[in-house]
Amino acid sequence: MNLDSPTPMSRQIAEHSTLIERFLGLPKIALLIFVLLIAALGLGNGIIGYLVVAGELDGTWYDIRDLGNVNAALRDAILSSQLNTYIAGALAYLIPAILGATGIVSVVGGWLLIGPWAERRLIAKFQIRQGPNRTGPFGLFQSLADALKLMQKEIVIPTGADRFLYFAPPVAVFIPAILGWAAIPWAPKMSFADMDVGVLFVIAISSLGVLAVFVAGWSSNNHYSLLGAMRTIAMMVSYEIPISLSLLAVVLMTGSTQLSEIVTWQSTHNVWLIVLIPFAALAFLFASTAEINRTPNDIGEAESEIVAGFYTEYSGMKAGLFMAVELGNAILVGALMATFFLGGYTMFGLETWIPGYIILATKIGLVYFLFVWIRGTLPRFRLDQLMGFAWKFLIPVSIILMFIVAIESAIFIRWDVPAAVSLGLFGLINVTGAVIISVVWIRILFKDLDLAAPERPRLVTAVGGLKAAKEIRG
Amino acid sequence: MTTSTEPYVLNIGPQHPSTHGVFRLRVVMDGEKIKDLDMIVGYLHRSMEKLAEERTFTQNIPFTDRADYLAAMTGNLGLAIAVERLAEVEVPERAEFLRVIFSELQRIASHAMANGTLISDAGAWQTPLLYMFREREKILDLFEMTCGARLTTNYMRIGGVAFDPPTEFWPALRELVDELPSRIDEYHELLVENEVFMARTRNVGVISPEDAINGSLTGPALRGSGIPWDLRKAEPYSVYDQMNFEVPIGANGDVYDRFMVRMSELYQSAKIIKQAMDLIPEGPHKTDIPLALRPPVGEIYSRIESPRGEIGFYLVSDGGPAPYRFHIRAPSLINLSLLNELGRDSALSDAVVTLGSLDIVVGEIDR
Amino acid sequence: MESPGIVLGFYLLAGLTLGSGGLVFLARNLLHSLAFLVISFLSMAGLFLTLSADFIAMAQILIYAGSISVLMVFAVMLTPLASRDNSNSIYVFPALISAGGIASFVAFIAWDTDWSGPGTDFDSTIGTIGQLLLGKYVLAFEIASVLLLFALVGAIMLVHQRDEDSEGTS
Repeated sequence: MNLDSPTPMSRQIAEHSTLIERFLGLPKIALLIFVLLIAALGLGNGIIGYLVVAGELDGTWYDIRDLGNVNAALRDAILSSQLNTYIAGALAYLIPAILGATGIVSVVGGWLLIGPWAERRLIAKFQIRQGPNRTGPFGLFQSLADALKLMQKEIVIPTGADRFLYFAPPVAVFIPAILGWAAIPWAPKMSFADMDVGVLFVIAISSLGVLAVFVAGWSSNNHYSLLGAMRTIAMMVSYEIPISLSLLAVVLMTGSTQLSEIVTWQSTHNVWLIVLIPFAALAFLFASTAEINRTPNDIGEAESEIVAGFYTEYSGMKAGLFMAVELGNAILVGALMATFFLGGYTMFGLETWIPGYIILATKIGLVYFLFVWIRGTLPRFRLDQLMGFAWKFLIPVSIILMFIVAIESAIFIRWDVPAAVSLGLFGLINVTGAVIISVVWIRILFKDLDLAAPERPRLVTAVGGLKAAKEIRG
Repeated sequence: MTTSTEPYVLNIGPQHPSTHGVFRLRVVMDGEKIKDLDMIVGYLHRSMEKLAEERTFTQNIPFTDRADYLAAMTGNLGLAIAVERLAEVEVPERAEFLRVIFSELQRIASHAMANGTLISDAGAWQTPLLYMFREREKILDLFEMTCGARLTTNYMRIGGVAFDPPTEFWPALRELVDELPSRIDEYHELLVENEVFMARTRNVGVISPEDAINGSLTGPALRGSGIPWDLRKAEPYSVYDQMNFEVPIGANGDVYDRFMVRMSELYQSAKIIKQAMDLIPEGPHKTDIPLALRPPVGEIYSRIESPRGEIGFYLVSDGGPAPYRFHIRAPSLINLSLLNELGRDSALSDAVVTLGSLDIVVGEIDR
Repeated sequence: MESPGIVLGFYLLAGLTLGSGGLVFLARNLLHSLAFLVISFLSMAGLFLTLSADFIAMAQILIYAGSISVLMVFAVMLTPLASRDNSNSIYVFPALISAGGIASFVAFIAWDTDWSGPGTDFDSTIGTIGQLLLGKYVLAFEIASVLLLFALVGAIMLVHQRDEDSEGTS
């Protein structure tokens, strides 16, 4: 169908399609406010730039490049106040905690409002259609409308469902999705819990989602749900190992299990780990798509096979929560990917000028875009193929490459070589090593795998039966 | 303590995203493996064949729209040709060419739909389906331009076609046919060399040539197994004998081959349409026949190549205006009958893809 | 254990651990007990955190709440006898005896131990643990890992053998 064809719908779309036209269509006062906002933003930026250059911004509470400063100032103010020591201690602990938790929840919640819209619009662009554009400006309120609709829906409890366990999973799956954010550093001081065991925390948290998924599948008393749950568990359990191995490579390289240290390492050496250990980064990305049930590994909720997988029997907002947690997990993986492999909140010195959290958010957005792109393009694998890929390929190759990384890190720590030279060499070695080992491994283990393009259908002009077929084939 | 797995029954359908309508698979599964598989059809039964006995031959044409609702044109054509052969009605030359053009357009639309849904079944999030819909939409626009309907066209008539296409039809058709090969090349880039898709479809649901013949498969499912059989070549009806085209056949008979056969049939159909456009003469589009056509007493089985395979019409006339017996040989039903063999001992995901590759239309199965 | 927050946390977590632990054997439904067991594991990890043993806490979550419970889920799913109802247990007396034995053992240890802390605050446990595991206790660590590897290989061999057998007979 031609989009330029003069149907009423397409005319309406054409009328409102460009950004400028939208703004020009606004009343004058709104335009004025908009211009003023821009001017204020520019002025603010100028002041901040001046302060940064003068060096007067570092660590003060109005240093918005790092919201952790506000927190620290608040804590100092409470501790130095006239309050009782116990109360002051409790407040100094509680208020930053609540502020941080609010921040995390609003980041995730805000994303859940914008994310579905962004994903649907993007996929719509991939699929040559418009996407949601009716609700609010550019259809931005679509997720809000969806959530409202889902909340109004009747809650259907299937017969024979385990009522006690049936209600827990939609909430329980959200716990890891929110908790994982605690370890992410958004800026040097802006991390909810910058633990020493950050990497372990991430792995531990990611293993928690499995149970909620299983309980969801089991308690709804439906074969589709159970099948989806079993698939999801099998996948999550398998793909946790590649994730751990690739994170181990990160830890070996940087010599720390603290997420902020990992980011600092990348920024001091001016290199992203995806360049140094590309196989680990790709393994992490692929395994994460399996962990969070996204295409091409979304077999846990493969729509064409098992309807909606483990949440088939959930209705209303409970199903909505499962869908939301999928998005929340996607950006959490984006944040982890950005922190571990893409330099986190740093960007080769740009973080002096732009707040680190904006840099991180951009990187998260990029990883998320990659996910959406994959989702819009690829079909999904089969369960046995995915399992085989994890156990026969990702894990052994990751282990071999991890040994190489371990040797490199030992050399890096002990020998006194300029970092640029050694890291450049390591990167080269790791890339070539990954390629060679992968190719050799595939040759050894997947001998039968036919990677060549299959032959195109043969074109014949004479028709016949079985005899003709045999003649043609020769 | 012993550990074991128990087989359990999974009802796929009648309401399920991948059953392409309301039809039900009763699957006995052991874990992820299918142990047994029953196909339960009849949810869309509308008693067409019995109802047809109460209507005149011309009045029966709309039934064929609703039988194979994704290929209404070929359904119409099959009945029209059957009645023409029974009543010995002459068809004007222009109508024959129009019939060829429209049934090939319908074939493109139907194959686009079939391949698109197959990829959707394989798990791509509808992107290829919607790409394929570009062409389908254009074709349906052409249908709408000509006969007012997009899906249930009711276009072919006994002794010709219902309407001559309007003047703006021809440039639009020319544009469509000219750009079609490049569009199909786009799909090739997106899909044919896609490793995930190949991993999902190659060596899955393999039908050997012998099995294909024994199961009386027809259409792309048969050609995918390597049997060069196409009624357009074997028993040329209409003016297919004047057309120059090739029949694509697959090598292994797996899902991928069936997919690829449909893909190359898109090229061939475009080729046929181009030739028909060049050859089409001026003249009437229809011969006048009595409203209540009374064919002589007798019976006929007439078959043509629909996008899904051989659609046959068995008509018995008792000399009255309505058929005494009206039977449709539905290719979907017969192609589907092999799913039992194909699905057993395969993974659920494979069975779903295999079902998608057989390209069933439930309206035709249940009639 | 000075700060009131930590004290409060300790009592809350201890209550949660004991409460859910009790519900593990009070629940009639096997999956329900499993859910309570996971809660108990998690709150135990919290207890470790109040002791600033962050590595142990993470290991607790990772191994017990994340893996062992999944293993139990698989065991429950694959054993036909252990369906939803676990009330018909016939091992009441052995269970009582072994539970009593373990309880008395733990009580003895608790009574006998000198509960004064090491006196120093640990900044980070993971670095120390890492150095000890790969320094002083490297032999024990390696032996344990080799043992685990053998267990893994043995399990795979067992399953593999049975598969081939069943394929041969059927």
